[in-house]
Amino acid sequence: MQPKLKSKVRCSDSEVGEVRRVIMDPLSHEISHIVVGAGAADSVERQVPMGQVQGVAEEVVTLRGTSAEYATLPAFKRDEYVTTHEVEIAHLEDRIHVTPGEVLVPFPELERSVKRRTFFANFTHAIGFLIGLPLAFPVLRYLMKPMYSPFDNQWLKIGNSGKIKQDDVGVQFKYKRKIKEAYMPEQEIDKNVWVLKATPKVLESIYQGKDMEFRDATGKALWTNKKDVPYIAFSGKCPHLGCGFKWRTHKTLGQVFLCPCHLSIYDAAGKVLDGPAPRALDPLPIKVTAAGEITIIDMEFKAGTKAQVRIV
Amino acid sequence: MDTTTQPTNTQPSAIEKVFAFVDERVGLKTLQAKMLNEPVPGGSRWAYVFGSVLLFIFIMQAVTGILLMFYYVPTADHAYASTQYIIHSVDYGWFLLGYHFWGSTAMVVCVFAHMSQVFLWGAYKKPRELIWLVGLALFGIVMGFGFTGYLLPWDQRAYWATTVGVEIMDKTPLLGDFMARFLKGGATPGQMTLSRFFVIHVMVLPAALMGLAGLHVFLFRKAGPAGPFRGTVEEIKAKTDYFFPRQIWKDIVGMVLVFLCICSLAFWEPVVLLEEATPDPGDYHPEPEWYFLFLFQLLRLKIFAGEFGQFLGAIALPGAFMALLAALPFIDRSPERNIFKRPIALIGWIVVMASILIFTVAAIINREFLE
Repeated sequence: MQPKLKSKVRCSDSEVGEVRRVIMDPLSHEISHIVVGAGAADSVERQVPMGQVQGVAEEVVTLRGTSAEYATLPAFKRDEYVTTHEVEIAHLEDRIHVTPGEVLVPFPELERSVKRRTFFANFTHAIGFLIGLPLAFPVLRYLMKPMYSPFDNQWLKIGNSGKIKQDDVGVQFKYKRKIKEAYMPEQEIDKNVWVLKATPKVLESIYQGKDMEFRDATGKALWTNKKDVPYIAFSGKCPHLGCGFKWRTHKTLGQVFLCPCHLSIYDAAGKVLDGPAPRALDPLPIKVTAAGEITIIDMEFKAGTKAQVRIV
Repeated sequence: MDTTTQPTNTQPSAIEKVFAFVDERVGLKTLQAKMLNEPVPGGSRWAYVFGSVLLFIFIMQAVTGILLMFYYVPTADHAYASTQYIIHSVDYGWFLLGYHFWGSTAMVVCVFAHMSQVFLWGAYKKPRELIWLVGLALFGIVMGFGFTGYLLPWDQRAYWATTVGVEIMDKTPLLGDFMARFLKGGATPGQMTLSRFFVIHVMVLPAALMGLAGLHVFLFRKAGPAGPFRGTVEEIKAKTDYFFPRQIWKDIVGMVLVFLCICSLAFWEPVVLLEEATPDPGDYHPEPEWYFLFLFQLLRLKIFAGEFGQFLGAIALPGAFMALLAALPFIDRSPERNIFKRPIALIGWIVVMASILIFTVAAIINREFLE
């Protein structure tokens, strides 16, 4: 029979207290000691080896010897033990029948220095950090590789101005652009721009009396759209959130550029008439030869910003 | 053989022996008992099925997703063709793809139902704050699954949803441009975008979801179910039963219903791809999936016009809403869980649901007008 918690503990001459805790051997899974105490919780508790125990009955544990001998037993030191909840001991509940209450196992001698344990805990974190630190930058660079690529400022042929029959009317020109992405074979993607032959009134609205200069990433001048050349090319990307807009007839506003996504509406000069767009349509560098061949530099600008920010 | 004789032989059969052998080493019976014998305060209810149903949907998404990867190729020159091949050439490919597609919709619907139930029952309150927070993170992951998975077929719908979605993310202050380029792997959507979305969809998010869902269930088990929001302690105690069998039965019925809905949708509304992705939308009018329509319609409003307006509508408003949800258990500290005694919570929930409904309907009406 195993000693029970709260059982009275008697020596040959008198009662010395009650079983407060039991200590088990982690390997044999046997109870090795009982912890006996009397009175207040903070009074001295003594650790009694099972060898000193003469008999265990229901509610009573009898010890060998007198209460004077009991008083010479070592005091119980709580910080030399951990509870069984804090260590992994298999099949514990099959062997020890003490519930509820603290079931203790010895805290190994080598582990008793709190300072060393704290030091090793911090040391482990430091090592982990030192492993991670030199990886962080390479990993970030690894993932960032394709994020910023230089602009390609090539002129692309998009078609002939003969397609434009009326002034101040948006005409869509579709063209193919070759792209070469990392290891992928060269691909052709479909793109479009809106070109219109503008009357002087619309030209004035776009240029406001000034030529329009385009620069590359380093600030070097690429091309200047002259304010008196009537052909205007607008990037096909809506400056609101990047959808493709169309040339449509609006009930009250007449012929306009309309984006079907969030319903931004622009006039022939690209100015915002209605809807959520933050800026006018983006004019592109355009060249028209005497034979009417139209070429453009295919630029893209960030959508949703008041200022034009070139991204392609 | 004499069938009338009662078996007097108490020797365990070979299977029982094997089971006993394994059980001794693994502790299966205890594990099973612990899983099934969870007391449900106030008894099982249909309202509690959504968590289990979500777990079921996720498992099915994982299974169908793995099967789709047997044929799918995540490259800009083959993604579209391989998806078309799954739909048109592989036996039952149309069904598995349809199941995966409609399963994602079911996931979003059930997440809304699950969150609404927890909100209305006041189950996010102390001591369940962390379950609610982890749940919000899971909500974010489900949205992330929807967003990244949408690009993979590489058709026009996929391309434009991603283009607009990433442009919206770009409006985040300070980090927006970096985040958008990081996700796209460049300035415009292309192969790098597809690779990134693919790896996020099939590796990063599933791992995150499994970890967080495990934590969610662990925290739930640690705190225990909240139970009904009215009734005395005695009444609740008298009706309390275990998770098994009554709640499990209800959960299973829920799963079967969801499974049948998804199968029917996959059968009668199969996935049809548009043209292959390209930066020229042609006649296609970009539009997000129906559960994002309200946000899409919101961004058409005049008050969200311009650069600042767009930041308000696309980033600040959804961000503030999510922050409010995250702060909810710490703001709303009254222990009162009865929804009929929490007028602000009830009105708030109705307003949010009604706004979502109104904006969704408005987007659908606008659709007619664009034709």
